[in-house]
Amino acid sequence: MNARRPYKRPMPGWWRKNPFFVEYVIHEATACFVAAYAFILLAGLVCLAMGEQSWNAWLAQVRSPMAVLAHLIMLVAIAYHSYTWFRIMPKTLPPIVIGGKRMSPAAITGGGLAAAAVTSLLMLGLAWGALS
Amino acid sequence: MQIHQADVVVVGAGGAGLRAAIAVAELDPRLRVALVSKVYPMRSHTVAAEGGSAAVVQSHDSLEHHFHDTVAGGDWLCEQDVVDYFVAHCAEEMVQMEHWGCPWSRKEDGHINVRAFGGMKIERTWFAADKTGFHMLHTLFQTSMKYPSIKRFDEYFCADLLVDEGRCGGVVAIEIASGELVQIQAPSVVLATGGAGRVFRQNTNGGIVTGDGMALAYRHGVPLRDMEFVQYHPTCMPGTGLLFTEGCRGEGGILTNRDGYRYLQDYGLGPADPWPRKKAMELGPRDRLSQAFWHEERKGRTIDGPHGSVVNLDLRHLGEKKLRERLPQICELAEEFLGIDPAKAPIPVRPAVHYTMGGILVDGDCAAPLRGLFAAGECSSVGIHGANRLGSNSLAELCVFGKVAGESAARFAQDSAPLRRNHLAEQASDVEARVRGLMHNPGTERIATLRTEMAKTMEQGCGIYRLGDEMQATCDKLAELRERFTRVKLDDQSRVWNSEWLLAIELGYQLEVAQAMAHSALQRRESRGAHQRLDGYEARDDANYLSHSLAIYSGRDAPRIDYGPVKITHLPPGVRAYGAEGERVEQERSAAGV
Amino acid sequence: MSEQEKIIEIEVLRYRPEQDEKPVPQVFKVPFTDDMSVLQGIQYIKDWLDGTLSYRWSCRMAICGSCGMMVDGIPKLACKTFLRDYYPNRVRIEALAHFPIERDLVVVADDFIEKLQRIKPWIIPKEARTLEQGEYIQTPAELDVYEQFSSCINCMLCYAACPQYGLNDKFLGPGIIALLHRYNADSRDGGEAERMQEIHGHEGVFNCTAVGYCSEVCPKGVDPANAVNVNKTKVAQDYFLRFVRPKAKGGME
Repeated sequence: MNARRPYKRPMPGWWRKNPFFVEYVIHEATACFVAAYAFILLAGLVCLAMGEQSWNAWLAQVRSPMAVLAHLIMLVAIAYHSYTWFRIMPKTLPPIVIGGKRMSPAAITGGGLAAAAVTSLLMLGLAWGALS
Repeated sequence: MQIHQADVVVVGAGGAGLRAAIAVAELDPRLRVALVSKVYPMRSHTVAAEGGSAAVVQSHDSLEHHFHDTVAGGDWLCEQDVVDYFVAHCAEEMVQMEHWGCPWSRKEDGHINVRAFGGMKIERTWFAADKTGFHMLHTLFQTSMKYPSIKRFDEYFCADLLVDEGRCGGVVAIEIASGELVQIQAPSVVLATGGAGRVFRQNTNGGIVTGDGMALAYRHGVPLRDMEFVQYHPTCMPGTGLLFTEGCRGEGGILTNRDGYRYLQDYGLGPADPWPRKKAMELGPRDRLSQAFWHEERKGRTIDGPHGSVVNLDLRHLGEKKLRERLPQICELAEEFLGIDPAKAPIPVRPAVHYTMGGILVDGDCAAPLRGLFAAGECSSVGIHGANRLGSNSLAELCVFGKVAGESAARFAQDSAPLRRNHLAEQASDVEARVRGLMHNPGTERIATLRTEMAKTMEQGCGIYRLGDEMQATCDKLAELRERFTRVKLDDQSRVWNSEWLLAIELGYQLEVAQAMAHSALQRRESRGAHQRLDGYEARDDANYLSHSLAIYSGRDAPRIDYGPVKITHLPPGVRAYGAEGERVEQERSAAGV
Repeated sequence: MSEQEKIIEIEVLRYRPEQDEKPVPQVFKVPFTDDMSVLQGIQYIKDWLDGTLSYRWSCRMAICGSCGMMVDGIPKLACKTFLRDYYPNRVRIEALAHFPIERDLVVVADDFIEKLQRIKPWIIPKEARTLEQGEYIQTPAELDVYEQFSSCINCMLCYAACPQYGLNDKFLGPGIIALLHRYNADSRDGGEAERMQEIHGHEGVFNCTAVGYCSEVCPKGVDPANAVNVNKTKVAQDYFLRFVRPKAKGGME
């Protein structure tokens, strides 16, 4: 007779039980905003290809107060996503050795965030320049 | 009861057991190996060894030097022919470990690096940072997985040996997960169950180090040799006894008393050079360093702490970078357990029980006097440690004699006559009745009470320094505890993972091994190595005691203590000295051509 | 150092398969001093309050990997987690998450061991060498590439931290992939192609969604998440390169 009876614990609501998992789930959820914005831009591109009328309609749409609000929400979500994404980045890279020393995870994250910030500002500058 | 058939059963899957199992598999892949361990192999206590493993590699070193350090370090109680074999095979085994993947620390050119160690004339300690045992164990365990002939019985607790007509025929084990017993029949059994340090209170050992194999062999009439020699490691954490490796001192760490004074110079270990001098000061042998602590404590020159007096292990001058690279585990222990950064403050340390020099009597082939029984590693007494083991010789021993034991056992199995399987099965039923009986034993004694009293009396009677009347008191106390153990009461009568049941069986093992230690100590009326007396037997007495003690099991009574000869091949007993005095003695000896 | 005795409440999730239908909490009052670990607290319970409590432990110094358990919901080694950090609150102890409970704080670890075996955790020599030829040459820099991954003590905390393993135990998991990487990254080893087969597909690296918690809880700084994610790139490379290379050795399917 074997008295073993291993008990497998269920995992309902597992992601709510640990702040680390909550953050992870928010990170994953904010990816939807990244995708959504990509679709908005794609729609703009399609409209542009369809002619001036469509393009102007798309422009009018993204300028509506609701769209501006949506943009602000997306900006926050995407910023959060970028931040957490770069925080994970050191774990995804093979060791980067510079001058015989391993680059620290903080330096990798910092470098990534800085690069993202600089690129965003450049893009903003370009767009601003094109508009004015 | 389930019956398994094997050719070789190895009990214990630490360094020695794994090395033995691999040796069998490599010698003859047709032999079925059953590797039985009460814990998953990587939990075995080899994992906690820190400093390193000895093997001569440097061109200015020699096997003769290693031999000499070992025999003198063991205060001439070593089997010299066995030490000869040992020192000659260490390097080969360390290279074998390297080929199997052990991440040895390296020199810039990619060759193996070695560090200095206590009692060793020249640097010959191979190391993997300060986690050498951990890396060796995992390397052996993972390598063992590539041999299909090795069948592991992980978390099977060995309850007894099967012995028929004066011949070992396998083991009975408890499958811990189910609480069911199994018998594993085999013509060869290798015991590799480790030491028995947990019979003492403050010790460096893991909870599993309970002398199981020693007690099993002992109960079947195999003598336990040199059990009075128990090593106190000089640098351990107060309270828990956790180990700070000798590698700390090998790398240049110093020991100071309450006045910041390097007190070892007062105990024949000086001069106190600012640099590490081999076989002197902090690089003296463990017995001498622990004894020096004892004297400092009596003189009131130690520092009072919550867990008794301490001295300081000072590593600050090594610098942050070297500490992190060479001693990461030490840094982690100091920081997490004591809240001390060793780069900024000294670590408080005191001696704690670390190693059992003695063990199951075996010859140079690792064969015990019981046919079909072999032993290797700390549970055995193959004869290389004598009265005091040198640091880094035990990891090397696991490999060298693990292999010997495996090969001897394999050859024995190849040539053996068939076992009388029915007789073995009957015996196994008796064992089952006995161990199940223990679970339901009517009584009143609590395991923890008996265990605590045992550990306390061992520390009182068999400490760094010993007195006849105190040892007698310990012997008496142990007899009392054995008697009370017959009335032990368990809270737990269930089958699945009943660890209280196993603790009770272990306590039975421990009490008998402790008795062998205490009685061997009481009978040895001299001071040698780790056995130091203060009651009129302060000197070494080669005329009467240049011999191995043999504790022989006598049922419910105290063990009978017998003596056997020591094999001296070419290094006759001499003065054992360290520091400047040691160098002088050595010069005299080489001038005399000995 | 104050050694005044205080009392802490330890809540243990008990499960005795011969009497409990499912796990139930039980609270013990344990006297403790500031230097006592959670493990010592549990030992006190076992020795003096209730001998039926089962758990694994041995070395007490965070190297044997036996005493992994959930302490207030976080995977920890009980031997190096201290009661003082929870006092005066009650501390909750439970068997490692995501593994089946055998009994009390003991989990069934067979899955981990079986997976370890599967990844061939031994050196498959790049070039054969006899003992007489001595050791392989390996520079400190070459050692540094894999040393961190060889420090895994198999405590399985990373499995208890990995929700993906909890949801699908077919996933090879962080610790084992770290060990696989340890051998692949060893300059003496030439077995990469054989091992890579194990981490292709859904049960391999791509089951990981880069939660990263495994590396957070690792008591030895192994960073298993790094091993997993670096190998995602490797597997992807292998996948695309097979279209370029006429016949990749080792054969991937």
